[in-house]
Amino acid sequence: MSWINMLTPMQWLLLAAIPPAILSLYFLKLKRRESLVPSTLLWKKAIEDLHVNSIWQRLRKNLLLYLQLLFLALLILACLRPGWSGLNRIGERRIYVIDNSASMQATDVQPSRLEVAKSKAKALISDASSNDVAMVIAFSDRADVRQGFTSDRRRLLDAVDSIQPTSRTTDANEALRAASGLANPGRTSFEENKDIQVAEAVPATVYMLTDGAIGKLAEDDLGQLKIEYIPIGKPGTENLGIVGFAIERDDSQKENIETFSRIINRGSEHVDCTASLYLDNNLVDASSVSIDAGQEVGLRFELSGVDTGQLRLELDHQDALMVDNVAYAAIRPNRQVSVLLVTAGNTALEKALQTGKLQQLASLKIENVGFLDSPEYEAASGDAQFDLIIFDACAPKKMPAGNTLFLGGVPPEDIQGDSRWEFGELTGPALILDVNRTNPVTEYLEMASVSIVEMRTVKPPATGTVLMTSDVGPVFAVAPRGPYQDAILGFELVRPTAQGVEINSDWGIRRSFPVFIYAAIEHLGGGITAASAPSVLPGGAIHLTLSSRSNRYDIVDPKGKKVSIDRGVDGRFIYTQTDVPGVYEVHSEGLGQAVERFCSNLFSASESDLGIRDTIDTGADKIAATGATIRARQETWRWLLVIGLGLLMLEWIIFNKRIFV
Amino acid sequence: MTSSVESANTSISNDSSATDAILSPEMMAKLERMELVSRKIFRGRMKGERRSKRKGQSVEFADFRNYVAGDDLRFIDWNLFARMDRLYLKLFLEEEDLHFYTLIDDSMSMDFGEPSKFRVAKQIAASLAYIGLCRGDRVSISTFTSSASPIVVRGRSSAHRMLGFLQNAPCSETSPTMEESVRRFCLKNTGKGIVVMITDLMSKTGYETALKMLVAREMDIYLIHILSPEELKPTLTGDLKLLDCEDLDMREVSVSATLLERYEQTLNGFIEQARSFCNRRSITYVSVRSDQDIDPLLNEYLRARGLVR
Repeated sequence: MSWINMLTPMQWLLLAAIPPAILSLYFLKLKRRESLVPSTLLWKKAIEDLHVNSIWQRLRKNLLLYLQLLFLALLILACLRPGWSGLNRIGERRIYVIDNSASMQATDVQPSRLEVAKSKAKALISDASSNDVAMVIAFSDRADVRQGFTSDRRRLLDAVDSIQPTSRTTDANEALRAASGLANPGRTSFEENKDIQVAEAVPATVYMLTDGAIGKLAEDDLGQLKIEYIPIGKPGTENLGIVGFAIERDDSQKENIETFSRIINRGSEHVDCTASLYLDNNLVDASSVSIDAGQEVGLRFELSGVDTGQLRLELDHQDALMVDNVAYAAIRPNRQVSVLLVTAGNTALEKALQTGKLQQLASLKIENVGFLDSPEYEAASGDAQFDLIIFDACAPKKMPAGNTLFLGGVPPEDIQGDSRWEFGELTGPALILDVNRTNPVTEYLEMASVSIVEMRTVKPPATGTVLMTSDVGPVFAVAPRGPYQDAILGFELVRPTAQGVEINSDWGIRRSFPVFIYAAIEHLGGGITAASAPSVLPGGAIHLTLSSRSNRYDIVDPKGKKVSIDRGVDGRFIYTQTDVPGVYEVHSEGLGQAVERFCSNLFSASESDLGIRDTIDTGADKIAATGATIRARQETWRWLLVIGLGLLMLEWIIFNKRIFV
Repeated sequence: MTSSVESANTSISNDSSATDAILSPEMMAKLERMELVSRKIFRGRMKGERRSKRKGQSVEFADFRNYVAGDDLRFIDWNLFARMDRLYLKLFLEEEDLHFYTLIDDSMSMDFGEPSKFRVAKQIAASLAYIGLCRGDRVSISTFTSSASPIVVRGRSSAHRMLGFLQNAPCSETSPTMEESVRRFCLKNTGKGIVVMITDLMSKTGYETALKMLVAREMDIYLIHILSPEELKPTLTGDLKLLDCEDLDMREVSVSATLLERYEQTLNGFIEQARSFCNRRSITYVSVRSDQDIDPLLNEYLRARGLVR
C-alpha cells in the first residue's frame, strides 16, 4: 500500500478540525432543551417501547455519530490516495526539464522565472494522469536528476520544489542526454559490430521549462524524446550585464593596477548608468557608462598603490537580472616562493635562476655544499622554511621538510629501499627519448638535442611519476614523500672534481633549461605568477597550486563559509564549490592573510541575454514554443471534497432540527 | 329575587373587572334559562324545585290514598269525597332540592394551555353551579385541594360567593392525588346528587379507583375531561428534556414524526380508555378542549348529554 499526500498542511489542519466539530455537535445534541409539560404521563407511554432496551437505544443514538465518523475517516483516507503497486499499464512518460541557470533568476515575471517555471511544472505534474510516470531534471551547465521516473506526484512535486536558482550558465544537452539515457536505458549494445537494441525504445515527452537561452541542441541526444518547449519569461526583456572583468599589474610599476571590463546592453534602448569600482568594499573609482542598444563597451580603471585586495565592479542599473550587474576580481597576494639552492657552483643554474620572471616568483638563497652540515640548515630544513630546496650535484644526509629537486646527487638512503626510490649505476652516454607532457614541470620541455655523458636510472616508488625517460631507463621522476614532493634527475649538469668542474650534460646551455627551472620552481614551490586571480564561471572548477609550507588550507567563500582542505601531495587542488559569484580566499592554517584568491563570475553573454527564444534549434528541426497550447486540466476533487463535507454538516444540522414535512 | 341576582352579577363584574370574569353577564343570562337534570331522582334535604321520591307538597299530583286518622285534613280530596262518599287523601310529589357537586382538578398540570385548562374548568364549574343556584339547587364546589371542605351554596343570592371562590382558587402544587381527593370528597359528602368532576385525568396513580369510589356513592356522575391543544397536538421539536410540572419527572425525547404519531396514538388510546371506562360505569364522559368556547359546550354538548335542559 502506498500513499500520496494530496493536501497541504493547512488543508490537513482544516480536515483534522472536522472530527472534533462533529463530536462537539454530538455533545451539543446531548444537551437537550428543557421543556415544561403538563404531564409526562403520555410521553412516557409513547416512548415506553423505546425504553424497553436502553442499551440498544444508546447504540442507536451513537450509530449516527459512528456513521459520520466512519464517513469522515474514509474521506481522509481518500485524500491520501491509497493505492497498490499493481500491474496497471504505465501511462505516458514525462520528463520535466527545468532550467535553473543564472538567467532564470530574472524577475521580468514575478516572482522570478524559475518560480514561474516551477509552478508551471507543478501544474503539469498535477494535471498528468495517475498512470503517467515522470521524472524531474534541473539543469544549468550540468544536469541534476532530482527525481527518477515515478508516478508518485508528491515526490515529483517535492523534487520540483527543491530546485534552487544557481548562477551557472546553461547547457541543455547534458540534461537531454540524462533524460534520454534514463528514459531509454541501454539503448543499444554493440556485439560483433552489430548494433543491437537492448531495450525497447519508449517515447517520452520532455517538457523543457526554460527561457530558451540554451543554444543548439544536439539532435543525436534526443533519441525517442519528444520535446515540448515551454518558454518562461517575457519576450524582449532588457538587461545590462558585465561580461568581462580582468586586472593587470603594470610591469613597469608594480604597485599600479589596471582593470578592464566589458559591459553589454541586451536591450532595445540606450542605457546610461554608472559603474562603480570597489576595493575591499571601499569605493575607489566610478565612471559613467553609455551603451547603445545591443552594443557593448569596454571600461578601464587605473589604480595605483594597490598591493592586494578584492575588487568589485557594480552597475547601478535596475534590470530584471541583477546577478550579472556585479563582477568580481582579486589581486593576488604578491607572494614569493622561498627557494634554497645548494651547489658547489653551477653557472647555468645560477643564470637560469636570475631571469626577471623568476626574480618575481621566488626569493633565492644560494649556499655551498658545506651549508648542509651547518646547524642553520638543520633548523631550516626541520621547520619548512623553504618551499623548495634544490640540491645540485649533492645530497643531504637526511631528507628535509619541504619539496626537493635533486639535480644529480643520490638522495639519502632513508627514501631508498622497498617500494621506494631505486637508482641505477652510472652509465652513459645517454639520450632523452620521452618527456611526460602532462606534468606541468615538463610540459614545455624539448629534450631531444640534450646530450648526457653519464647518468643513473631513476625509478620512483609506485606512487611516483616518471617525467623523462632516456634510452637506458627513466631519468627524471617525481614522487610524493608525505606531504612533500621529491623530484630527482638522474644526471648532473656539471660534476665537481678535484680539478674543478666537469661538464656532464649540455642541457645547461639549451633553451629548455631555464624553462625547466621556472616550471619546477612554480609548480614544486607553489609560486604565484600572475597578479590577477583566476576567475571561473559559477560552479566551475578552479585549479589551485598551494605552497608546501602549510598542509592545511581554508577556503572562504563570498558568503563567509569556510571549507577546510588538506593540501594534496603535489600541492595542486581542484575546487568546485564556486556556485556563489564573488571572491574566494584561501587562507593558510597559520597565516592570517590570504595566500591565494580566485573569483567566480557570471561572464556569459548568453545568460545576460534575457530575450525569449520562440524556438529551440535542434539542427535539422526547430521546436516551437508550446507553452500557450498546453491544456491544463483543473482538478475539482478538492472542491467536491469541500462540498461533500458541507453536505455532511448540513445533513447533521437538518437531522438535529428535525425539519419534517 | 331579581335584585339579588343583579347585585350578584354586578359584584361579579366588579370583582373580575381586573381579570377576566369567569362568567360574563350574557352568559349568565343564558344560564338562567337552563336547569340541571339528574337522571336519577334523589332525596334532597330541603324543599326545593325537584321532584322527590318523597310525597309531599307540590302542585304535581302523585296518588290517592285512604284517609287515616291524623292525616292533614287539608289534603283530603273533597271532590272525590262528594262523589264517592269516602275520604281520600290526595298525595302530591314532594319537590326537593338537588345536590350538585363540582370537583375541580387543581393540580399544576391544569395550569397549562391558553386559556389554561384550570380556567376553563372553573368556567364550566361556575356555569353549571350558576344554573343550579338559579334553580335553587344545593351547589357544592370544591377543588382537589379543598375536597374535604367544599363551598356549599344555595340560592341565586349565593352566586357571588360561589364565583368569588372560583375566581380566587389557584392551582396548587400540593394538590393531593385524584384518588385521595375523591376519597376525602366521598367521606365529606354523604348525600346523593350530581357530581361533575372536571379534570385532565393526568394522574400517574390512575383515575380508575377514584371514579370507582364515586360510582359506589350511586351518584349521577359526569366526567368532563379537559385537554389543552398542546396536549392534543404537541408543537414540540428537536431534542428535548421534558419536565413534568407536577412531580418534575424528566423524560428525554428526540421529537420525530414517528414519536409524535406514537404520542397521538397513545393519547387517543388514553381518551378511548377513559371513555369506555366511564361508559361501563354509567359515568357520562365529556371530552373538552381548553380552547373551546364553553357556550356551545353547555348549550349543545352537555344538553345532548342530558346534564342541562
